[in-house]
Amino acid sequence: MTPWAYIPQFLSSGITIGAIYALVALGFVTIARASQIINFAQGEFVMLGGMITFSLLHHVGLPYPMAAVTSVFFVILVGFLLYLLVIYPLRKASIPILLMATLGASLFISNSSSIVFGPLPKALPPFSGDEPFLIAGIPVVPQSLWVLGATFLLLFFLYHLSHKTLLGKAMEASSTDPLGADLSGIWRSLMVFFAFGVSAGMGSIAGILITPIFYTSYSSGTLLGLKGFIAAVLGGWGKNSGAILGGFILGIAESVSVAFIPSGYKDAVAFIILLLILHFRPKGILGSPFIDSRRW
Amino acid sequence: MVEEDSTKLRKRDLLFTGALWLLSLILPDPHLPYRRELIKKRDLFYLGGVLLLPIVWPSSHVHHLMVLAGIYAILALGLSLFLGYAGQISLGHAAFFGIGAYTTAILTTRYGIPPLAAFWASAGVAAIFAYLIGRPILKLKGYFLALATLGFVEIFLVIVRETPDLTGGVIGIFGVPWFSLGGFQFDTYFKQYYLVWGILIGLILFSKNLVRSKMGRALLALATSEDAASSVGINVVQMKVGIFVVGAAFAGFAGSLFACVMSTANPEAFSLGFSVLIVMMVILGGMGNLYGPIAGAIFLTWLIDILGRFQEYSLSIYGLILVLLLIFFPDGIGTRLNIRLIYLISYWGRKKRRETKEI
Amino acid sequence: MPLLSVEKLIKNYDGVCALNRVSLRVDGGTIKGLIGPNGAGKSTLFHVITGMERPDSGKIYFKGKDITLLEPYEISRLGVGRTFQTLQVWGNMTVVENILTGMHKRLKGGFFSSGFWLPWIKRNEEEALKEAKETLEFLGLLGRWSWPAFQLSFGEQKMLEMGRALAMKPELLLLDEPAAGLTPAEVKKLAEKICKIKQFGTTVFIVEHHSSMVMEIADEVAVLHNGKLIAEGPPDVVSKNSQVIEAYLRGKESDA
Repeated sequence: MTPWAYIPQFLSSGITIGAIYALVALGFVTIARASQIINFAQGEFVMLGGMITFSLLHHVGLPYPMAAVTSVFFVILVGFLLYLLVIYPLRKASIPILLMATLGASLFISNSSSIVFGPLPKALPPFSGDEPFLIAGIPVVPQSLWVLGATFLLLFFLYHLSHKTLLGKAMEASSTDPLGADLSGIWRSLMVFFAFGVSAGMGSIAGILITPIFYTSYSSGTLLGLKGFIAAVLGGWGKNSGAILGGFILGIAESVSVAFIPSGYKDAVAFIILLLILHFRPKGILGSPFIDSRRW
Repeated sequence: MVEEDSTKLRKRDLLFTGALWLLSLILPDPHLPYRRELIKKRDLFYLGGVLLLPIVWPSSHVHHLMVLAGIYAILALGLSLFLGYAGQISLGHAAFFGIGAYTTAILTTRYGIPPLAAFWASAGVAAIFAYLIGRPILKLKGYFLALATLGFVEIFLVIVRETPDLTGGVIGIFGVPWFSLGGFQFDTYFKQYYLVWGILIGLILFSKNLVRSKMGRALLALATSEDAASSVGINVVQMKVGIFVVGAAFAGFAGSLFACVMSTANPEAFSLGFSVLIVMMVILGGMGNLYGPIAGAIFLTWLIDILGRFQEYSLSIYGLILVLLLIFFPDGIGTRLNIRLIYLISYWGRKKRRETKEI
Repeated sequence: MPLLSVEKLIKNYDGVCALNRVSLRVDGGTIKGLIGPNGAGKSTLFHVITGMERPDSGKIYFKGKDITLLEPYEISRLGVGRTFQTLQVWGNMTVVENILTGMHKRLKGGFFSSGFWLPWIKRNEEEALKEAKETLEFLGLLGRWSWPAFQLSFGEQKMLEMGRALAMKPELLLLDEPAAGLTPAEVKKLAEKICKIKQFGTTVFIVEHHSSMVMEIADEVAVLHNGKLIAEGPPDVVSKNSQVIEAYLRGKESDA
């Protein structure tokens, strides 16, 4: 069969992984909107989601749904701790320092996981069975539908949070107009604190969703985090819609590329896209509220 | 009662101040401006230490470590010009190190080119790549630049892994011959130490000259305010590309030496972890100073060695130490520690003056 | 031919018209002032002239050459120096190094020649140092030449920034609110120095909110209000212009 014939299949797996990239990208954007910080440890939240669930499931014997929920709480806790122990003490430091600090945290988390959970990749059972079924002639694994469904639910939740609740509006305010937010008494540190929690939660959910399809291991977080960031930049840095769009485009592009180039180069695709986008349109596809040619 | 206390204090005073004075002799300079002469007395002290070290400490393991430390110091020195002086972030510097290592490996094993020529070629190839990559990328700033540099080092890693014919793929290239100059082979760690550190000293002199010339000023200027730099006619992007290329050339030298010392070149050289390591050396050493990153390189090389005994825990301890050091020394160890010492010394001085006044 | 001429510049920001068909000229060897109430578009004009912003339409000519779309560093190299409203002194360098960096384009040398410290680099640096110290003497900052720049007082730093721009030996010097934040004594010193600069042959174009200093030393004054040029001419004529009085003095009453 010609490579073109495989495209529908790649599309379906691409959309699935794209949803995950979208969630990771949203995690980056949430924190960046609240604080102008880029959290390079974002991918680790995803990794931890899957890892902790596995542990709870197999070593503690919790039923699957409970393990998943508990693990999300744990990861949110990790997110809060990351903020309190690393970001807050460095809140006045310069960009390279903050960057290095989140990278250092990412190193610490990923390697400690290999010690705590062991270095072998882990898999989780799919939510509702293994059998792929056909949609318009394309085999689709049920887990993919869970991924997509959960992604849309999370998006809806985020939208509701930022546009309808007071907390969400406060977070929005503190990012678009820090001075105004300060003046109206919104405690910026608290907003960033919550942003870390929300990102960690989203990341961990993404991790739990994706582990049944692609395994998770202690090192999978780093690359995933980078790709999520690339997706956010691709779609339009600083916009939630950009993060989502970028995530899906990246996922599909990556999957489809396997039809045309040797699979070893798959990881490079994301970075090539990154370099192209930064060169031709750094604002991203949908444009960016943050990028003013002076500041970034 | 008061008299007894004050004499006790006086003895302690002397001890502390003495210790501090000794320490301040060996620690790197803080960024005190306009003492930018080429050679100071302190430098001769360092030079002496460097020259005598392998003789004073004959352990082969120490020599091995110091050879590695020297190579990493060359790397850190190059990056410190870009990161510490010009204030730009590059997380991809390992790529040029890798390019240097592979260039030397390929030229010496496949084409039988003498190591000295390969040495210069490595730096040249790294510089060319840096120019080609730098021109488009260095228009970006801040996080975007960091991301772009991550991007290209990843791409290099993938390319190296996927082209086994050229690069030996995942395994790398073996059997790189020792560095040799006209028949004299640098085959022991002892000899390699002097080779590496000799080159490092030469590069330090070059860097010192660069820093105290108008180029150095231009770099500091654009790190603080690009608008102001443009207003005096400095072509900021061109400056950034220039120093990027210089830093890459240094990395190329380092990579070449690495290949000759380790006799191999492998994809590990391109890993993100390594890039982060180099940046760590520079940041720990302090921005805006040349000796700090070298001290950072030595420190981290030793740290890796010590942690190597705890193989599994090493990387996470790394990450932990990095974060802790950044929190407590956000300006780098070089700068903060020495400034603190100066404050301490002047504090003791003032305290003594107060005491004598009271009595 | 005027040294600098600006023709029908239009610049909009998100619905606010900062510059509305502004045209003016600056003749060589004169001091030109640009005053106007806050938000009138004065700094925007400077940003556009120096290339930091692109106008939506209109042209800028320097020495007869069209500089509208050039990069800031290219415009500077043609002989335009400037200071900044937000004071962009290089604090972590010494005072004299700030001036030396101002001389960057006039010094010879590149990466290689500097790194190897070729003999002519050495001579170059020594001569440059001498000249920089002379500039500092003119500014009254010589005593502190080796101090880190951040240790100077605010007024001294502003003086240093002007000195840095002068080090370039520009033909046109743009001063963006040089008197802001200065004590009355410092403003007087500044005015004297600007007059001396004019005597050396440099053309000065000052944007200033404190109209009194500008009215005293300028040969010609232009007034900007809401992005429009409402008057242009010698100070005594402009100060009697009724539109100017209305627009400006109303603003003047509300701030000291």
